[in-house]
Amino acid sequence: MPEVYIDGERYEFEGKPKLLQFILDQGLEVPYFCYHPSMSIPANCRQCMVKVGQPVRDRETGEFELDENGDRVIRWFPKLQTSCSIDVTDGMVVKTQESDELVRRAQKDNLEFILINHPLDCPICDQAGECPLQIQTYKYGPEGSRFEVKKVHKPKRVQLGPRVVLDAERCINCTRCTRFVDEVSKTHQLTITKRGDSNYPITAPGETFDDPYSLNTVDLCPVGALTSADFRFRARVWEMNQTPSIDITNGKGCNIDLWTRDNLVLRITPRHNPHVNDWWMPDKGREANRLFNENRISRPSVKIDGESQVKSSWNNAIETFVEHIESVKPEEILLIGSPHASVEENYLLTKLGNLMGWGTPHFTPHLNEGSGDGFLITDDQAPNTQGIRLLGLSENDNDQLAKRISDSGISCVIILNDALIDRNVLTEDLFDDTCLIYFGTNENKTSQSADLVFPITCVAEHAASYVNVDGRIQRSFPAKETKYSNRRLNLEMSEGRLDRYGTKFDNWVTEDNKVDCLPAWDLFALIGMRMGLDIEYEMGGREVMDEIGRKVPSFEGVSYEQMDDESGIALNIDSKKVKSKN
Amino acid sequence: MASEWKNFEPVLIPDIANLRNIDVYLDNGGYEALKAVLGSEWTPSSVIGEVKAANIRGRGGAGFNAGLKWSFMPEPDGKPRYLACNGDESEPGTFKDRKLFEFNPHLFIEGALIAAYAMQCTTIYLYIRGEYIDWIHMMDRALQQAYDKGFIGENILGSDFSVDFYTHSGAGAYICGEETSMLESLEGKRGYPRVKPPFPAQNGLWGRPTTINNIETLANVPLVINKGADWFTSIGARNHPGSILYGISGQVNRPGVYELPSGVPILDLIHEVAGGVRNGKKLKAVIPGGSSTPVLRGDKLEGVTMDSDSLREAGSMLGTAGLVVMDEDTDMVDVLWRIAHFYHHESCGQCTPCREGTGWLEKVLLKIKNGEGEIRDLDLLLDVTTQMEGRTICALADAAAWPVRHTINRFRDEFEARCKRSTFATA
Repeated sequence: MPEVYIDGERYEFEGKPKLLQFILDQGLEVPYFCYHPSMSIPANCRQCMVKVGQPVRDRETGEFELDENGDRVIRWFPKLQTSCSIDVTDGMVVKTQESDELVRRAQKDNLEFILINHPLDCPICDQAGECPLQIQTYKYGPEGSRFEVKKVHKPKRVQLGPRVVLDAERCINCTRCTRFVDEVSKTHQLTITKRGDSNYPITAPGETFDDPYSLNTVDLCPVGALTSADFRFRARVWEMNQTPSIDITNGKGCNIDLWTRDNLVLRITPRHNPHVNDWWMPDKGREANRLFNENRISRPSVKIDGESQVKSSWNNAIETFVEHIESVKPEEILLIGSPHASVEENYLLTKLGNLMGWGTPHFTPHLNEGSGDGFLITDDQAPNTQGIRLLGLSENDNDQLAKRISDSGISCVIILNDALIDRNVLTEDLFDDTCLIYFGTNENKTSQSADLVFPITCVAEHAASYVNVDGRIQRSFPAKETKYSNRRLNLEMSEGRLDRYGTKFDNWVTEDNKVDCLPAWDLFALIGMRMGLDIEYEMGGREVMDEIGRKVPSFEGVSYEQMDDESGIALNIDSKKVKSKN
Repeated sequence: MASEWKNFEPVLIPDIANLRNIDVYLDNGGYEALKAVLGSEWTPSSVIGEVKAANIRGRGGAGFNAGLKWSFMPEPDGKPRYLACNGDESEPGTFKDRKLFEFNPHLFIEGALIAAYAMQCTTIYLYIRGEYIDWIHMMDRALQQAYDKGFIGENILGSDFSVDFYTHSGAGAYICGEETSMLESLEGKRGYPRVKPPFPAQNGLWGRPTTINNIETLANVPLVINKGADWFTSIGARNHPGSILYGISGQVNRPGVYELPSGVPILDLIHEVAGGVRNGKKLKAVIPGGSSTPVLRGDKLEGVTMDSDSLREAGSMLGTAGLVVMDEDTDMVDVLWRIAHFYHHESCGQCTPCREGTGWLEKVLLKIKNGEGEIRDLDLLLDVTTQMEGRTICALADAAAWPVRHTINRFRDEFEARCKRSTFATA
């Protein structure tokens, strides 16, 4: 096995890794700005300088030459090397800032250079708290600056596009953003303009930066030069809690982080998962924070006299539910599952239907033909279409579902969180004489047409799993508290950073932004209890998934533990299709 | 090399009227080398061998053996390979290639064709700086003549060797004279130097094998083919053979481009070739090879000759052999500020040390020039040059740092005289 010595420690390596990536993979550190593992290597920030040497071999025997102490004779490269761009080779000897004064000095010099024209406005900069430049300057930078002349001034507050704002003075010209639009999103909308210390990234004259992936450049930017028009100045990073989750705005199931403060999701950023979205996500997925914060259904509603909905207590709503159910025959009830709801929620609906004799739930996929781009945006507008197929729900196209309600003597329809009226699958007049019971997260025409509305938790409030278009099952974590959950008691919930007194920043929350809703498993357990069924899951979604893993063949053995360990599990969707054809 | 140079007959720019016309060039033995090379006596590898033996050291400044460079090209694989001719010539004080474009374009064209044959290139690009618009037109005309005579194009002179030849105009960036950023510019991109390795011979224009040569380097090739490597190595200094186009500018009586063997004593060049310092003034300083080469003091030039070894000993470099001569009235602070201004203006901005360092150098020098500097600023400048040197992708940072370091070290008294008295001294 080829070997490399880093700061005197021996490491073995395989293949042809780049030195910086290899160092990072070992859990060691070398400061860097421009390098990104999923893009080309321009080696332009010059921050990751290390000292590199090769052992001298005897030309004839191929043996290492040894000095008088029996150590290998090392031939050092005449200049320091950027570790990002150099290949690790057998026998290579590397000295990082940990063991070499010259390297330490070079990194410090480079940070001094970067900072001479960089505005020192960290107190008002959005990047502060998660800024590689800030962090690395504290770690490796000079104590002060010897720059006493005037800084270069460049455009500030440039609206590059609808979602991205540029502060050119903060830019350190790492070219991550321009490489992103060239190599990943391939729209080529950004380029570096001007030369030397007056250069900065910009669009071509008259063009706007409306790349559907434009906000990834904000994440990539190692300083506060590119900021999100939506998020800037809304919160300091250290005041927010970061919770892993899944993008529910399309079928790809991009892995994301939800950033919450006071139970509002303030921003959404992609989370690295090489099997799904690498480091990226579409801009549309980042706007989902509005779904979690705004227009939420809070407390159940009951329609009085067939006219207007009024808020009701949970007890009253459950009694009303039982009244509706008991006034019709079981076969007159139609269950509609949802590709927008999780595997667990749909499973429980199916289970309830089976126990009560209401039949298997139906569903309609939510497709928007032609909107996919073959990358991270899919035609499928729902996060879990594959999941409910695997659960065995009955698939309908749009017309079939409406016909099923109007033709076959259905007098009560129960819809699980799918805005079917809003997406023109069903019409309001279908429910003139038919009772509609809606379990949902957000207010919409469908919920407003319902005779009974139960608020349920959204993906930001519960742990539940979703199967993406490629058949990968992944799960969310609760990020926001509801009226009935508590960050201190729920071990799945993330905790805030500590302030300087050792108090967590998320101590300072109010009741204002907590939604009065229940997870579907808790709600169905309450309903079940009222109707004499024992369908209680004390461990919530985790326990539901364990049961699904035991009972539904496609999900055999799937558990939260395995999903967490392997950042999602690829289910075998193809063989399932083959089976159903046979 | 005392005074042999006085008998030297120019070979690159011989004194022949209208040599730029292809008929005149043909009458004077033009394209014979190309015909010979395409004949049965030569093979691509024997051409490379001969050029390597001649030790034509690259005239663009780095001084790398041209034949050796050619031999780095991988074996032909039927796909495109390129020769890129670097006529960007943007180093201040350098104007030698212009002379070739104007007076002997076909010598260069012939040399480029021979090089393309030796390396089996399919296309030749001639990159000329945009400011040379007239010379670009001259080269276009010369290339058209060569096309018309069948020296360029399909099956040149009945052989199975075919090559195309294009001119490409720069757009005013010094950095595009750096070989890899010239490739980026040729590809239609922003002129950012590339990280090496991979070297252009492996991964050049559009990812294909590419060799980059200076115009003057290529112009020497037909002479080597016609007269042999031994003839070439007998001219001038042993380690840097051949004739050189010396571009002499500044405060001399007869500035201009002079073709002489390498290794001419620098004082002979100034006093005899260029007619001495203007108005009988004393010589103060000389930049020997374009603005990035360290300046030499006029009182330390005795015995220094224009070849790489002697200049290295004297503390400078041959560079492009563009001499800038300065007389006793020259303000070295001004000179250095102007040079620093140039590099600040021309830094491409890719690497941090160069992008930030060049601006810092200029701003501090401006402060000193305006009499607002302090002596500690001089030490700061020297520190900044150390921080820049050797830490960037291309050599522009070095080119910006060297003049600052060496000018301050060699003329420190002048800089100190311009600085404010230290506050400690007055207290």
